Amino acid sequence: MNFPWLLIVLLTPLIGTVLLFVPKRFVPFSDQQIALYSSLITLLFVIVIALQFDISSSATTQFDIAFDWIPVFGITFHLGLTGISLVLVGLTAVLTPIVLLATEYEVQKKNKEFLMWILLTQASALAVFLARDLFLFYVVFEAMLIPIFFLVGRFGGPKKGAAALKFILFGLAGGLVMLAALIWLYFVAVNQLGRGTFSITALSNELKLDAWTERWLFLGFFFAFALKAPMIPGHTWLPDTAEQATPGTSTMLIGILDKVGTYGMLAILLPIFPNASIEFAPVIIGFAALGIIYGALIAIAQKNIKRTFAYISISHFGFIVMGIFSFTSIGMIGSVIYMVAHGLSTAGLFLTVGYLIRQKENSLISNFGGVTKAAPVMTGLFLIACLSSIALPGMAGFVAEFMVLTGTFQKYKIPAIIATLAIILAAIYMLWLYQRVFTGTETKESSNIIDLNRKQILALSPLVALTLLFGFYPAPIIKISESTIAYTMTLVGATDPQPMIKKAVNQ
Amino acid sequence: MIAAVIALPALSAAVLLSFGNRTNKFGPWLAIFASTGSFLIGLWHFLQMVARPAEERPALTTVYEWLSVPAAGFKINFALQLDQLSISFVLLITFVGTLIHIYSLGYMSHDENPRRFFAYLNLFVAAMLLLVLADNYLLLYVGWEGVGLASYLLIGFWQHKPTAAVAAKKAFVANRVGDFGLSLAIMTMFIVFGSVSFSDVNSGIVDAPAWVSLTLGLLLLLAACGKSAQFPLQSWLLDAMEGPTPVSALIHAATMVTAGVYLIVRSASIFNASEIAQTAVVITGAISLLMGAIIGAAKDDIKKSLAGSTMSQIGYMVLAAGLGPIGYVFAILHLITHGFFKAVMFLGAGSVMHATNDNVDMRRYGGLPKVMFFTTITFFIGYLAIIGVPPFAGFYSKDHIIEAALSHSWWAGAAVLFGAGLTAFYMTRMMMMTFVSKSRWHEDVHPHESPLSMILPMIVLSVGAATMGILLTRNHVFEHWLEPITGFVEPEPPLPIQTITTITLSVVAIGVLIGIWQNIKIAKVAPVKVSFVVKAARKDLYGDVLNETLLMRPGQGLTKSLNIFDNAVVDGFVNGLGLFVSGISARLRRSETGYVRSYAMSIVLGTALLVIALLMVRI
Amino acid sequence: MIQTVLNTIPTPSFEYALLSPILVMFLAACLGVLVEAFLPNEKRRFAHLIIVFTAILFAFFAVVLQSGPNGRALVANGTVALDGPGWILQGTILLVAALSALLFAESKIDPLGDAFAARASTLPGGEEEKIATKLGWAQTEIWPLFSFAISGMLLFVTANDLLVLFVALEVMSLPLYLLAGLARRRRLLSQEAALKYFILGALASAILLFGSALTYAYTGSLEFGQISNGISSANNSPGLLTAAIALVAVGMLFKVGAVPFHQWVPDVYTGSPTPVTSFMAGAVKVAAFGGLLRVFYVAFGALVWDWRPLIWVVAGLTMVVGSVIALAQSDFKRMLAYSSVSNGGFILVGFSATSRPAIAAVLIYLIAYAFATVGAFALLTLIREQAGESSTLIRWKGLGKKSPVVAGLMSLFMLSFAGIPLTSGFTAKFGVFTAAISGGATALVLVGVIASAIAAVFYIRVIILMFFSEPIPEGPFVVVPSIFTTIAITASAVVTIILGLFPQVVIDLISSASVFLR
Repeated sequence: MNFPWLLIVLLTPLIGTVLLFVPKRFVPFSDQQIALYSSLITLLFVIVIALQFDISSSATTQFDIAFDWIPVFGITFHLGLTGISLVLVGLTAVLTPIVLLATEYEVQKKNKEFLMWILLTQASALAVFLARDLFLFYVVFEAMLIPIFFLVGRFGGPKKGAAALKFILFGLAGGLVMLAALIWLYFVAVNQLGRGTFSITALSNELKLDAWTERWLFLGFFFAFALKAPMIPGHTWLPDTAEQATPGTSTMLIGILDKVGTYGMLAILLPIFPNASIEFAPVIIGFAALGIIYGALIAIAQKNIKRTFAYISISHFGFIVMGIFSFTSIGMIGSVIYMVAHGLSTAGLFLTVGYLIRQKENSLISNFGGVTKAAPVMTGLFLIACLSSIALPGMAGFVAEFMVLTGTFQKYKIPAIIATLAIILAAIYMLWLYQRVFTGTETKESSNIIDLNRKQILALSPLVALTLLFGFYPAPIIKISESTIAYTMTLVGATDPQPMIKKAVNQ
Repeated sequence: MIAAVIALPALSAAVLLSFGNRTNKFGPWLAIFASTGSFLIGLWHFLQMVARPAEERPALTTVYEWLSVPAAGFKINFALQLDQLSISFVLLITFVGTLIHIYSLGYMSHDENPRRFFAYLNLFVAAMLLLVLADNYLLLYVGWEGVGLASYLLIGFWQHKPTAAVAAKKAFVANRVGDFGLSLAIMTMFIVFGSVSFSDVNSGIVDAPAWVSLTLGLLLLLAACGKSAQFPLQSWLLDAMEGPTPVSALIHAATMVTAGVYLIVRSASIFNASEIAQTAVVITGAISLLMGAIIGAAKDDIKKSLAGSTMSQIGYMVLAAGLGPIGYVFAILHLITHGFFKAVMFLGAGSVMHATNDNVDMRRYGGLPKVMFFTTITFFIGYLAIIGVPPFAGFYSKDHIIEAALSHSWWAGAAVLFGAGLTAFYMTRMMMMTFVSKSRWHEDVHPHESPLSMILPMIVLSVGAATMGILLTRNHVFEHWLEPITGFVEPEPPLPIQTITTITLSVVAIGVLIGIWQNIKIAKVAPVKVSFVVKAARKDLYGDVLNETLLMRPGQGLTKSLNIFDNAVVDGFVNGLGLFVSGISARLRRSETGYVRSYAMSIVLGTALLVIALLMVRI
Repeated sequence: MIQTVLNTIPTPSFEYALLSPILVMFLAACLGVLVEAFLPNEKRRFAHLIIVFTAILFAFFAVVLQSGPNGRALVANGTVALDGPGWILQGTILLVAALSALLFAESKIDPLGDAFAARASTLPGGEEEKIATKLGWAQTEIWPLFSFAISGMLLFVTANDLLVLFVALEVMSLPLYLLAGLARRRRLLSQEAALKYFILGALASAILLFGSALTYAYTGSLEFGQISNGISSANNSPGLLTAAIALVAVGMLFKVGAVPFHQWVPDVYTGSPTPVTSFMAGAVKVAAFGGLLRVFYVAFGALVWDWRPLIWVVAGLTMVVGSVIALAQSDFKRMLAYSSVSNGGFILVGFSATSRPAIAAVLIYLIAYAFATVGAFALLTLIREQAGESSTLIRWKGLGKKSPVVAGLMSLFMLSFAGIPLTSGFTAKFGVFTAAISGGATALVLVGVIASAIAAVFYIRVIILMFFSEPIPEGPFVVVPSIFTTIAITASAVVTIILGLFPQVVIDLISSASVFLR
């Protein structure tokens, strides 16, 4: 077995959590420091791994490490790294320290607990992206609900209890259906392969399902992922949760954990249920396109800043899903980039304006106006996040959106055209929000706003840097995810359409 | 090397924005240095290019591989294409840009934060240069939206003014409508040609089916309309005048708004391949040039009047570009001359506003020549240029367009001719109201000539406005210059050139006369009893009203009702489910009577049921 | 002559060693009676504790030592089957019972003494009661009763003969009827509960007995093995047998509290002293399901195709009705009562699969559930007000602030009930669902999925109350227990976590021993 890098990465935040509760005379750091350092160390390890990651290798996964867990069911504790998971692990590792640094104002007397839940969220996110055993994936997929449940319920707004309940119930509903499908799949494997296994690789390479079983199983898993992502019409938990949750929580939830839904589609649905995926693709693409417009339109009508962001994300998840099910290299890689871009922009949105909301304990748009006068830096950083989120060329969001749209357009003209309309709507919802909150005449509510402090600026600057970097040089993400996408394409048996006219030789 | 042209202003903008107030001191100077620098580099390249024979002039520099998915044959480079067309723009942009940087030094001196303003200006210059230097449509798109962003930031520069903020957003959204077209065009190019570079598209278009060129043509036209404020996406330009005047001069007159024309000319091969698309372009241009002129003729706000004029002049260019090989060159020619004379007029207007406490109402001007000598002179030169009096620049460019239009069709010709008359009219009107007539100043206004930093650019530009035409048209230098890129065919108008020129000049003369005659007397407040044309023109020919009723109102209705639907129906279903279950729960709970007898009864009944059921199963 | 008659009666073979767990507990019970008879008041409690705990310890070791492969046999003329499941069940019962015993023994929590009435005979709220309480008397008879109940259970889960089964049922039930009525607080409620339990229990027993009689009438035997032979070799009208199965089933389903025979559960659970409730929810549940398993797998196994559909229906009903009604409960004890009903439903889902994995799944579920529920009830005893335990949920607001530990552990058990991964509850659910799907009951599993989604609501609501809301003035307070309760809680928590993280340990143990002897 090779050096257990992945295990180390996974353990670092957990160790950090433990250290939080070690008496201070044994650890010379404050709680903040412990959390921040452990997240930074995690980031360091992830970078080390990324540097060793072999983009040219034909292997499905790298850095594999596996132990028996529940042998009777052929369940193993198997961690492995595909290109896509590396990208998302990287996102997780980058965003966590940023959240910790940018939302220090969250941690008052309950700080130990807050930090603990954040670190546990990170750990579960890492685990779910690294899991190569479907059972392990499921377990984390469900366990993941707990930290966010407490983050929302303990630190949220006035209606936090209801929001937390709604969040966890949607999660459980999806999870339980997935559980049934999971068990069913297990027996199919037992009957066919003669051994019970949950290994994603084995299931995707060896299993031959009959049409109807595959359809039902696909739906079972898709249900869970679609609720998590979230796709319409299963999205209504997100606005409520985002409205109550603190900025940090929302960043962890929408920026990272919701990606599990789309990641699941890409890394589990497609490989294990290729035929059903192909079959259902047109319907899903349709729903995605619908969701893009639906989310964007409703975002325009929101009166509450956080709810607006939630609906924007719903629209954006539509793009990600659409790219995945376009079954074109461009579209799928576009989706991967989109996940990163969306993570970065979401963090930017929530962490900047979140501080504003925090100061006034009020997230109504009408409450603010002309904030830019009191808080120019916040305004600037927020505007950049806005522009990335509306896919301004030069920002990561643009590359992602363009690739998703082009990839979809190659196979599904009408949905792609409908989705393209979103670039107009995006300008409306974002800039209108910006106009009402940050520009115009200064309301007395926003007169005494405190601008972001050095630490927060320091925390947010990586977001800006990465957004621009991937906007002008997305090659790293593309290169890393390329081989995995290609592998997935072959599993699904999809090929990239050729241009109508033979390409001219130059270029 | 050419990358430096873009990099210089880009870096300076980055520095000024990220280091914030620490750069207030030297900020403006850094910005000026940057744009001057890129002008000099541009000039250097230009001279080199001139030295080379025509066929060796175009040069392609691939900076790096931007987007590439080998598996899908998807490869887009960050590559800059320097050819006769782009270099012309580079020079225009950097030259006028630099002058306006200098002008702003004086104009923005009283502003609380000039540094940010200059940062945005640099940002704009960089983006605009990227737009014209890109070798493929996607990279062009980056510059395209980049200038959109800069324009957004600069229109809304005085963010505390709600009107400015609204205008900025309006401009961006309108542009996005155009970008919708551009995005679709780019996607279509990719699925058809497997590439989005100009060269591949040009080489591929010849053996592409007709629908391709038509679709692409119309989509690109939509994009051009958004960026260049052409009908039906014109309404944002007049509101854009909320921005500081230098911005109006640089972005909303000289350069950015002309990007649409550049796009059409750049895509010449596509439009050449589709009659219908070309006709659509001509019609758009014709409508816009008339609308703009009419609006310009009715406005009392000097900047809005100029904005209308800009729209109208760009209408000319678009129309010319729609004429095909006989028009492209003149479209660009007019674009350049217009860049000079319209810039100088805007700067003049700015100087006047500067002198009259930012008053924009022409009805409160008048009598300025004696207090503002240079402003008056330069503005007057600009005036002569725009109405097309020989030998000023406008005459040459416009005259050529008119010839080309006539040789295309009678109606195009009629449109441009009538437009020329209108131009002459509203410009004379402006001239009269602002300068010639007696002073009608507000009490506390004491006009004075502007500082040197403002005068100088105006003088330089006015020289250009005066001479550019001769310089560029003398023995067809510009035709030959652009021909390798855009192609050029000598227009064959139905009438001899001299006749056309005579007609044009007489039309202009009529316009001027009417203009004078109508504005001998000028009321301090706009008369209310006016013809419906004027009423309409004052309302921008109901462009906004149309948007309101056709798009905004229904849109707001839609979003609001969708929101309600989402809360009531979609979310309502979920919550309803919850209520339903708890309702059942409450009902079932009543079965817990607490009476042993009823419990016993249910046991007995249950048993009976069980027995019966089992028997049923057996049988 | 007489000699010859005597010779015809075979001398019963009696394997004392193998039966020792049962016998030990029985002996302990008798000793307890003697203690009551001869020891002075103040010495009794101590003596009882010694006796009961040593007995349980001894019995448990007897189980552990003999449960090996060669310790599996039909004993006492085939009336008692000491096979894998039998041993496992006995072990589980002893462990869970031990935890309950710890709660029985707790006397630090309530200032007035342990959880039981000072004098059961006194009039509730009357003068004598006050005196008895003041004198600090204790109803030490609970201990022999407790021991009898345990010995009854141990026999019940190994009984291989309908008659023995019935006897065991009574031996385990009668003491429970009494124990249920001995609460120190809210005595009237407690006594009412006891009476209800007794009446309905008697009814159920009668039905069971009738069923047994019919079975004998049909197969000519009471021993499970021969019953199943009789069934398979039978050719005459089956109506009789069908009725028999139905009646026996009712007798058993009553004990496990399956719908529609569940209505006693909430009343009795709420009325009984909490230690007793934990005993019923834990040990009794294990015993009842143990009996059910054996009767239906061994005796009526041949007719599985007839009774399985019924079990499906009952299981579905039990899960759904239990979960749905629990939603409306405002009292924690009552909520857990319904939760135990619905959990019974989930066990039945596994039970309906009738396969080796099914047996293992059911056993694991029983273990997971028993420990979690005992832990939850143990925690309940710590949350008190002046009037006694505070079981009104709404008053638990902000408990997390007052005692993070208690609230935290409670959340752990709630999450386990809700079947969140990494807790024993998930392992259990996964087991029974797996078994059911392998048994072709996918539809039933979907019902189970819905039911557990509903159930999650009220479990999680407890967490929300404790952690996400502000405490109310003069709310309940949390007392620090003595070592007894502490051990009980810790043990349940540990089992809940271990079974969630590393189920393999238990699974190996159980699946190696999930074959019934016949």
